[in-house]
Amino acid sequence: MFHVVVFVYLQCNCILLHMTYLLLFVTSLLSFSYVPEQRLLEATYLDSTEGQAQRRWDTVIPAKLDTFPRIQELEEVVVIDQAEMIRREESNNVELIKQDFIRENRSGSLMKSLERIPGISMIGIGSGASKPLIRGLGFNQVMVVENGLKHEGQQWGADHGLEVDQFAADQIQIIKGPASFKYGSDAIGGVIDIREKLAPAEDGFGGSVELGARSNNGWFGGSANVFYRKNNWFAEGRLTVADYGDFRVPTDSVFVYDFGVALHEGQVRNSAGQELDFSTRVGFLGKNFRNTLGVSRVSTKAGFFANAHGLEPRQVDTGLHDRSSRDILLPFQEVTHTKVINKVSYAAGKNFLQLDLGYQRNDRKEWSQYVNHGYMPAIYPAEMLYPSNQERAFDKEVFSINVKDEIFLDRHELGFGASGEYQHNDIGGWGFLIPAFQQYSYGFFAIDKYKLTPLWQLTAALRFDHSQIHVEEYQDWFPSVEDASQATEDDYLFRAEEFQRKFNSLVWSVGVNYNPGDLVLKANVGTSFRMPIAKELAANGVNYHYFRYERGNANLDPERSLQLDLGGELKKEKWLLSFSPFVNYFSNYIYLNPTAEMDVLYGAGNQVFNYTQAEVLRYGAELSALYQLNSKWSFELLGEYVYSEQKSGDKQGFTLPFSPPTSGIINATYKPLTEGFFSNPYFAVDFRATARQENIVPPEKVTPGYQLVNLRAGSAISVFGQEIQTDLQVQNLFNTRYLNHTSFYRLINLPEAGRNISVSLSYEF
Amino acid sequence: MKNWRLFILMMIFLASCGEDEKPLIDTEYPEILVEDDSFPLQCSVIERGTTLEFKAYFSDNVELGSYSLDIHHNFDHHTHSTEVNSCNEDPIKTPVNPLLLIQTFTIPEGLTEYVGTAEIEIPADIDPGDYHFMIRLTDQEGWQTLQGLSIKIE
Repeated sequence: MFHVVVFVYLQCNCILLHMTYLLLFVTSLLSFSYVPEQRLLEATYLDSTEGQAQRRWDTVIPAKLDTFPRIQELEEVVVIDQAEMIRREESNNVELIKQDFIRENRSGSLMKSLERIPGISMIGIGSGASKPLIRGLGFNQVMVVENGLKHEGQQWGADHGLEVDQFAADQIQIIKGPASFKYGSDAIGGVIDIREKLAPAEDGFGGSVELGARSNNGWFGGSANVFYRKNNWFAEGRLTVADYGDFRVPTDSVFVYDFGVALHEGQVRNSAGQELDFSTRVGFLGKNFRNTLGVSRVSTKAGFFANAHGLEPRQVDTGLHDRSSRDILLPFQEVTHTKVINKVSYAAGKNFLQLDLGYQRNDRKEWSQYVNHGYMPAIYPAEMLYPSNQERAFDKEVFSINVKDEIFLDRHELGFGASGEYQHNDIGGWGFLIPAFQQYSYGFFAIDKYKLTPLWQLTAALRFDHSQIHVEEYQDWFPSVEDASQATEDDYLFRAEEFQRKFNSLVWSVGVNYNPGDLVLKANVGTSFRMPIAKELAANGVNYHYFRYERGNANLDPERSLQLDLGGELKKEKWLLSFSPFVNYFSNYIYLNPTAEMDVLYGAGNQVFNYTQAEVLRYGAELSALYQLNSKWSFELLGEYVYSEQKSGDKQGFTLPFSPPTSGIINATYKPLTEGFFSNPYFAVDFRATARQENIVPPEKVTPGYQLVNLRAGSAISVFGQEIQTDLQVQNLFNTRYLNHTSFYRLINLPEAGRNISVSLSYEF
Repeated sequence: MKNWRLFILMMIFLASCGEDEKPLIDTEYPEILVEDDSFPLQCSVIERGTTLEFKAYFSDNVELGSYSLDIHHNFDHHTHSTEVNSCNEDPIKTPVNPLLLIQTFTIPEGLTEYVGTAEIEIPADIDPGDYHFMIRLTDQEGWQTLQGLSIKIE
């Protein structure tokens, strides 16, 4: 029996008690429902089709289970599925997403493709860009790791997507919950760890081609990959190209505030875009020594909705914009993200040593017509350094190093590591949002996974981090006076003062896993942290497109969180149930607080938003249940729930921004057995229901609930002896008009994309 | 059987734990009400060298915060007007000496209704043409309502 009461006394709070007992209740139910049934097992082996259904879960049933639990019997359990192994061995809540899932659910951007996973949502901007939200936390609170290197874009910006080639992503490991002990600062809300394909296993030449089309925004694109291996050497290359037009919504007009905008054929004016990515790898794979050098570049160009730059209504030349749905006019953004990663590993006895060296550059430019806001001059001065349509530019360079030694002992799996990073951030353009800054950080960690018994495993981790930020000053290029001819030097305001801050952080984590046969139970409690970013420390300017004056606070402390995660998973021959609740407490969540105040001098008459810190309590859970009726039919139920509440400060009682509403998916999947032309066909229907979100915080709006139906189907088709995998998706089958609470354009009531039919073909050679 | 005992124990704990007393939170935006004597209105015309007598009615369910006024040129027809009806606009032109006004006002504490007034002098030497008159209103919780009006200065 597994009953661990982990008591986290945070505040006298009944919600916590509720949660703790709810968790206990579920754990006890799970363990109670564990009754080994010989009869069912026999039935499975008698019926060959059911046996096949079993193998879809990639496991072999323990041969004999009349007494339980006994160590000897566990040794007969053969676990061959990597995803399951990770779920059993990690005490955090981990989801492993495979290529097939991404292919079958492929959308315009990677995070959109992953939206089906419970606990995962996204902030979408247009049809080609999105950023992740894990259990309602996003921006700098979710870390994205690509091939072992922390992805550094402009995470703080709601309208900045994730610069990742989704065709290159082979496996994605999602940690739902804090993982600072392993990944460092920013992994406070969760981690999205994207990994490319493993090196080819056998000598020879191979590759793959994927082609696709999407009806809603006229997306055409594809990705091609070739690889070659000879003895210990391999090389690989990939090219991804995409081009799409304006996406369409099931409405003919929207209101940006009260400003009515007619949409031509339901097209979100100027939301078209392009993407061009390449990546290449060269590696040596020795018996003990391995080295891989990878270079990649992701380049995108995407328009912003022309009638609302940010959330600000704009008059546009509709004739010019509506001439073509595929052109990209002002305003638009261009991003180029370049990465160079060298990974070395050396296996020596019981040690596995790894060294990763990385360089990345995120070059972002935002283009828009000059409009004088606030005290800016009516006419853009000719002597300015930047062209009049370059509103903003961000240029970030990051150098990183990670070293790790894993030691595999009898019962212990030890890990020691260190990481270091240097960042250089420049800004440009006539608009100001964040100052230029440099930052360096280093950290050390130790992890021990201790196999107490074959059924019980303990994990403990400790990590120390140091970080230092140097913010550069920024002075306005225009005087903040109504009559510029009377301006003095003092009227050229400093939007950021030069300063330095140093931060230290010590975090710990303790976890336990209990894996009796077809049951997985886990608990993890730990702290996590996030260093404040330049914007939070030093912002002192107006975000004109949101009508707000954002004021940073140089005295902010690192954000700290304490979280209890539980996870339970029960697998029967026809059932797979999993439940992962969590309770999380932030002692000082960094929050941009809208105030009642307006500011003339620095804020140009806009509402003041102050960066402050508040206590926050969050809790929630994800649920999934899979029922395999027979070899052909399976049903699935997925659900997610998260609740957040600020427990102190001006917004006590309010939630956090971008809180995802409760939602669930009911799925039915049909996989007929066929031979010949079609192989492994599937048909799946998802019914998604999302509840109304009433927990809001200024400036959000209550978002009504909605229901959607999505269809997926596919099969491998044999053409001249070659297999071509074909996948078809119909998203938003009934062209439902709905609003997504966490969408960037939610505040201006822009509905989400209407019906979309997408087709993709993939061929491996 | 141990499970049932635990289950009952938990139900007792759950039952003994009453509903949390959650503070009531304000989720309503303040309102800018248009009355007969509100000024300016969408498409109002103001003469240079005169005084603009601003008057607007504000209301909030809990407590009003502050408001600000902003007049800037719209010679390029960039539009932040939040009114649906567009006015007769002059042709697009290049500004030479456009009027710019930014003013903030606090509303006395504890009010749910307030009449905002201000006297704004329109200088005689500024560029005539299409202007935006923006009213921003907040309440104590930080909800903000915008009203953007298109006006003409002759």
